[in-house]
Amino acid sequence: MESPHASSAEKPSPRNANPSSPSPSPSSRLWRPAAQRNIRNQWSKLLSGKDRWFSAASEGRNHATSLVNAYLSCRYMPHMDLGVLKGMPRIREKACEKLTLKQELYCGKLLSSYKDMVAVVSDLVKASKSMRCFIKGSAASSLIQFSDTSGDMSDPGDGGGIPVFTHFSISEFENLVQEIVEMFELELSLKRLIVVELLSINEKEVIGEQIDVSSWQTELYLGEFDNLQMIGLLSEESFLPLPSRLKDRNSNDNFIGRSCHQRSSEILQVYLTTWLADVNIDVNRIAEIFSIIEEEIQVKLS
Amino acid sequence: MEAMMKKFQQKYRRIRDEMDRWDELQSRLLSQFVNASSIIDRLEVLRDTKNYGILGSVDGIKETLLGKQMEALEMSFCSMKMTMKEFHSIVISFEKIARDGSQLLRGGTISTAQKQLRIGIWPSLTECVDHLQTIHEMHQFEYLLKSSIVSSLSWNCSGIDIGVLRQLLVDQPNISTHEVQSIFDIVFAEEIS
Repeated sequence: MESPHASSAEKPSPRNANPSSPSPSPSSRLWRPAAQRNIRNQWSKLLSGKDRWFSAASEGRNHATSLVNAYLSCRYMPHMDLGVLKGMPRIREKACEKLTLKQELYCGKLLSSYKDMVAVVSDLVKASKSMRCFIKGSAASSLIQFSDTSGDMSDPGDGGGIPVFTHFSISEFENLVQEIVEMFELELSLKRLIVVELLSINEKEVIGEQIDVSSWQTELYLGEFDNLQMIGLLSEESFLPLPSRLKDRNSNDNFIGRSCHQRSSEILQVYLTTWLADVNIDVNRIAEIFSIIEEEIQVKLS
Repeated sequence: MEAMMKKFQQKYRRIRDEMDRWDELQSRLLSQFVNASSIIDRLEVLRDTKNYGILGSVDGIKETLLGKQMEALEMSFCSMKMTMKEFHSIVISFEKIARDGSQLLRGGTISTAQKQLRIGIWPSLTECVDHLQTIHEMHQFEYLLKSSIVSSLSWNCSGIDIGVLRQLLVDQPNISTHEVQSIFDIVFAEEIS
């Protein structure tokens, strides 16, 4: 297993022509297998994270749909033709009470799916930041160990820019992972906006007054902003969530982000469709990146 | 005669297997159709900027969402076309079975009287050939109908159009399940009793 790696390590690499890079000394020969292990590890984490995202998002969509249905049924209750049930005392009130309870239930479930999605994106970000492989302790020591956290500022952890396997250097791996992570970050931010809106339809009905609890600038659960900050979805200055935007678009300067207190079934349908459409996620491109990676690292990830 | 009858029964068994496959394709096509029509249904709501609520402040959301939905619709059309190809392969296979059946009779040295003779509960050999042809034709016409339904479905169909098309797809008016069943009852009469 070791021999092909070792032999390829000795081949002069074009990326190694940079005179400022560390010489391809014994440490570089040792760096490579460690870096390869790490890269394989991180990409398999990315793959499983991606799958977890899609299952959490689809659960979230089911809860969101049930929530919207319960809400709309409740709203249409006064005009609903109940047939023979019409004569039952307080039937409409009782039905509405039940539906309201259901809404609360689905709100909780939706929130928990959202939490799952936040956790997945955190993991993706973590993996994307752990592509590098640093030499631990002194390079001069006889025992060389590696770590994915930098101990020494002078060590960039990229093996001097040499290819980790056959073609890609660490920074090329990082560019590809960044492309994927960005899609999920943007999608998370967009879905958060929908979650904020959907959670507020319930609160409004219960409280019955127009308090702006639905503001997208409120934490949805304790510690949410810490998570968002780690993912990079929190503004550095205001410590509030960044406005949602689409891939290849700038965020809107006039981002209102304030609930417009409209709950038409059309608007709710647009929310659900937007949730379903994953507008920021290009599944074909993701599949392409993973197949490029599988070829490069010589491991079938899925 | 008996050997000949066995050969026909074998052909009818193949028909039956293909018809099971037809039923699977039918339910697949229906769910693809429902999927496509629910996208078409939504398009009108998605085209109206005032339906975007809070998402209205996300730059470019309407164009992107519509684009994604059109993409999904296109994919859905593609998968329906694939299903139609499989339907077509069944029609081709029915055609071959029917042709083989009529050659079976033409090639042999069986007299016309023998061909029309009914022995016991068995149908006559001519009937066996005719029924194969009937089943083939039903499915061929139904295939042509489905093809034109699938190609009439487009993003600017109205909800009413879609409802009618869907009903036609469900009904399969060219295939009389009753008639097919009675053909099988005759051919496999001995197995039923």
